[in-house]
Amino acid sequence: MNEDLKKTLLNPIFKGNPITVLVLGICSSLAVTVQLKGACVMALSVIIVTGLSSFVVSLLRNSIPNRVRIIVQLVVVAMMVILVDQVLKAYAYSIDKQLSVYIGLIITNCIVMGRIEAFALGNKPIPSLLDGLANGAGYGMILIIVAFFRELLGSGTLFGLRVLPASYVPNNLVILPPMALIILGCIVWVQRSIQKDLQEK
Amino acid sequence: MNTNNNVYTIVYTTIIVVVAAAILAIAAMALKPKQDANIKAETISQMLTAAGFASKEDLAKQGNDQVLAMYSANIKNAFLIDAEGNKTGELETEGSIELQDNLKQENKNIASGNPSLPVYVFEKDGAEVNVIPCYGAGLWGPIWGYIAFNADCTEILGAYFDHESETPGLGAKIKDEAWFREQFKGKKVNFSKPDDAFNIVKGGAPAGDDSAVDAITGATMTCNGLDAALDTWFKAYIPFLQKKAGSAAGDACCEDGCCEEGCDHEHNHEHNHQEG
Repeated sequence: MNEDLKKTLLNPIFKGNPITVLVLGICSSLAVTVQLKGACVMALSVIIVTGLSSFVVSLLRNSIPNRVRIIVQLVVVAMMVILVDQVLKAYAYSIDKQLSVYIGLIITNCIVMGRIEAFALGNKPIPSLLDGLANGAGYGMILIIVAFFRELLGSGTLFGLRVLPASYVPNNLVILPPMALIILGCIVWVQRSIQKDLQEK
Repeated sequence: MNTNNNVYTIVYTTIIVVVAAAILAIAAMALKPKQDANIKAETISQMLTAAGFASKEDLAKQGNDQVLAMYSANIKNAFLIDAEGNKTGELETEGSIELQDNLKQENKNIASGNPSLPVYVFEKDGAEVNVIPCYGAGLWGPIWGYIAFNADCTEILGAYFDHESETPGLGAKIKDEAWFREQFKGKKVNFSKPDDAFNIVKGGAPAGDDSAVDAITGATMTCNGLDAALDTWFKAYIPFLQKKAGSAAGDACCEDGCCEEGCDHEHNHEHNHQEG
């Protein structure tokens, strides 16, 4: 694999992570991280939506009329989101119910539009697909880390299986959204202490 | 080619939208049977939860087939009633299970006075459990639920509520918070006030009120919607519920004047009906 593609693929996972560095997609990362299962499905959904919509927009990039490009992008993203929602309704109904409105809200996730505007409009389809997938994966990774701590400490379970002894008293604060923000803050802290160039003077 | 030309822009966006619509239409048609099967199993598991056969979480873990089998194994019969509480038709309960689950349509039919309402009669530990639905408008979309009554329909045994798009953490609590639906256990429908037969009270239900439960903080609009839904649907079902209650009471004490009270109710009901 050549260097550029490798960078496209790896950069969003850590160095340019959409949540911790670009601070995009915070809303849904607070909302769907109570349980690991939901977080994993959400992560997968976002990966598919960002990847495919970046790919499709990149294919169309030379033909899109500049004045209506945002609308065309929205049509593509909305179509992908509805497709994901329909497939989940057919094959993972209980998870779709659990994620409720957040699947529909992927369309407003800034990562999707952000990557289309910043990358897919100026790059070939294959790098755009990889960029979309990688950004979705970077988002998903943070989601899963946050969900891991929230489910472990908030319910004493992982993927619904009990891992902490029954005598553990679940911490209800962890279930509430504010704690997700605090965990997210800790992740940002850890990342910035490793990656010194992100620290503001 | 000049992509900023007006004609080009209009033709381009039209093509994109038509193509996207076509893809979505094909996907929706292809996935519909599978989705309908899921929705049917979900509806049935809501009834089973309300009737107290299993918890919603356990049912969600089982496949659709097990849920349908559980329904067939525990149901005694299911039928439709009209506005006077008379049976008008049967619903198939085994094999290809029939449900009257177009609650939106029935909600309109209740308003127009010509409903065809379902009653699902389960058998649990040798006693009948009557399950009826309700449907109404929440803050953002429809809300609905199933309420289970004991054999003579005088006491609520359980309830389950669901919604399409209420706010997570606020209105969505009608479904998520177990304490909310637990409150319905042991409550009664107030037959003497058919227009306001049940209340969800903001600030807490008054102690000793058998027909009221606490509302949820931060979910006023959803709770008001649910309150209105319960009032509308209970009103529509009261003739049926009263008949059930009346026949049970009649069996027990027809000799000592209970009947008269029963007749009184009946009379009141007729009166109300004419006014309505």
